[in-house]
Amino acid sequence: MPSTLEHQSIDPHTQDFLNEAKASKFDFHSISIKAAGDERLKTAINSAVMRQYTGRQLQLLELPDSDGLRTLAGDIKGHTLDYLDYYLVQTKQSVERNGGHVHFARTGEEAKQIIFDIIDKADCKSCIKSKSMVSEEIELAHALEARGMDVVETDLGEFIVQIDHDKPSHLVSPIVHKDRASVGKSFSKYFGTPFTDDPEKLTKQARTYLRDKFRRADFGMTGANFVVAETGQVCVVENEGNARQSITTPRVLVSLIGIEKLVPRLADLAVMLKLLARSATGQPFTVYTNLFGGPRKAGEKDGPEEFHIVFLDNGRTEILGSEYRETLRCIRCGACLNACPVYRKIGGHAYGSVYPGPIGALITPLFQGLGNFKDLPQASSLCGACYEACPVKIDIPKHLINMRKDIVSQHLNSPIERAIYRVWAWALKSPFLYGTISGLQKFELRRRAKKTGWVKSVPFPGNGWTQIRDMPAPAVKTFHEVWKKRR
Amino acid sequence: MDTATVLEKVSAALGRTGPLLEPPIPPAISEPLVRLVHSDIGLPELFARRAEENKMHVHACNVEDLMGHLIQFLHDSHCHKIALPVSKLLDGLDVLKHLVEAGFDATRWDQMTLDELYDYDCGVTDVTYAVAETGSLVIRGSANHGRSLSLVPPIHVAILEPRNFLPDLVDVFDRLGKDADPGNINFITGPSKTSDIEMNLVVGVHGPCRVQLFILQ
Repeated sequence: MPSTLEHQSIDPHTQDFLNEAKASKFDFHSISIKAAGDERLKTAINSAVMRQYTGRQLQLLELPDSDGLRTLAGDIKGHTLDYLDYYLVQTKQSVERNGGHVHFARTGEEAKQIIFDIIDKADCKSCIKSKSMVSEEIELAHALEARGMDVVETDLGEFIVQIDHDKPSHLVSPIVHKDRASVGKSFSKYFGTPFTDDPEKLTKQARTYLRDKFRRADFGMTGANFVVAETGQVCVVENEGNARQSITTPRVLVSLIGIEKLVPRLADLAVMLKLLARSATGQPFTVYTNLFGGPRKAGEKDGPEEFHIVFLDNGRTEILGSEYRETLRCIRCGACLNACPVYRKIGGHAYGSVYPGPIGALITPLFQGLGNFKDLPQASSLCGACYEACPVKIDIPKHLINMRKDIVSQHLNSPIERAIYRVWAWALKSPFLYGTISGLQKFELRRRAKKTGWVKSVPFPGNGWTQIRDMPAPAVKTFHEVWKKRR
Repeated sequence: MDTATVLEKVSAALGRTGPLLEPPIPPAISEPLVRLVHSDIGLPELFARRAEENKMHVHACNVEDLMGHLIQFLHDSHCHKIALPVSKLLDGLDVLKHLVEAGFDATRWDQMTLDELYDYDCGVTDVTYAVAETGSLVIRGSANHGRSLSLVPPIHVAILEPRNFLPDLVDVFDRLGKDADPGNINFITGPSKTSDIEMNLVVGVHGPCRVQLFILQ
């Protein structure tokens, strides 16, 4: 059995997506078209997320007023963001009172350097890491491995992602794009054991392997679901027990946390936790909800001897100061992914970043520049299902529309599109031009639909539209003509 | 590193040049909106139902019968090495002595190391609270009650007293907020589980595979 995770062959499906993503600038169009044509992927994702989606609906019925509770949760997060400077200082004081250390990092590079320094100073060799979106965001595990540290992702899904050198495709269920056979193959290759695709046996294999890692690790890494400003406690929720291991057994513990993760009071956790698991996986409550803050006390034999929080900015303050502040409310539950008809067709990898789905379509351009991800705000039918599912009421469709406006005002859309709209605007201003053009258009479309009554193809730039759908022939008389007569 | 800069950037983003003069007032938490369990009556029964839904095993018994049931359970589960916290409840019931007399290799947390705990079959603990709303155990870690006792051994047995029960999560955070030392708190709601592979539920990942509860009447 290999002791570190040396290079293994990557899942071929993901490789295709990643190659395309890397080949040139991020090209959402071709990646999403390819993903939507991949039946295996579509079936796997659909069945998995539909289960979580229905589970969520059932669980929300248990709440006396789920809409009211979502408003309250949104207000609490919104308030925290409006006074984030105050709450960050309060959190720092609380954590220090508990005997922990607080660091602030402007960028991913700064955060990594802070973590490297902690590791070097404490002379740690072996890291057990629990699932955290922020660490994915700054690719922390790779950076630690590159420095020769033995790093193991301990969440089962993330472990599989790690041994496959794959990427997670869902905020909560990282390997929703994989079937059991591909997991079986990876395990058989990695552990050198006979093939099995029985989830129970595969889980047991991972348990045995990781238990030894837990026992020996001297460095624990976690993220956070929430940080309570008044008590300085970090809250991490999970089902497997690996995060609990990470915060309990190693002698040094670092929590890497986005600055937006705060809540003011312990009482706020009752509100947030009643919504989080219900929205995420359709459970009333996760198996483990862990609150920790500060190192072990005198006489304690477990828990870290040294505890650090690294608060990461990495573009968050820019969002905080913009009209998109509300997006920082996100508690990464994944409910908007499960609700999204686009996500269900194309999966998480097509979004080209660690944050997929509707919320990813918003925050990826905010984090990494709208110019690089200008297709993402278009990856939505604006149906509103994401807004309806969001436990903190982020108005995702509204922000997507605003972002589309930004694309136009910053001239990031294609010159052809701009030219078409310029002509369109010019034509609309003149009744004569409008009448002439619509008359010509009607004539041409009716000519094309002569045989069947359906228009099956149109010339550029409308040809993309008719590639996959026909449209009925226009009426003999235009609306204007009918209107004139009636008056 | 440079603390001021991130904090300064946050203040600037919020349109402030200096610190706030008065602490902000967070939104009021409307209790009818948040609370799901309103009554103190029947909490152990509600808890037991929730706990079973979460795949914990629940057995209600009298104090006199506890040791008999516990020993029977440990035998049936092929447990030999048993770890216990230093606890008023367990010490008062002489659990350690009874287990040793019954032939188990039972040890208290103050007599072992964390590394040794990995070789134990079962942790038998008390709890700080039991939440009827969610069927959760709440355990506060301490020098006497190692955080790992309910995590590392493959089987966790918890003994619950009537005074442990609280109706709602609201009540738990209310109690926890009154403690001077925030400390380490674990909510446990079932055996460790995962649905990562094709959404198949598998019980027993990195925490205990089985959680057995004895509720004292």
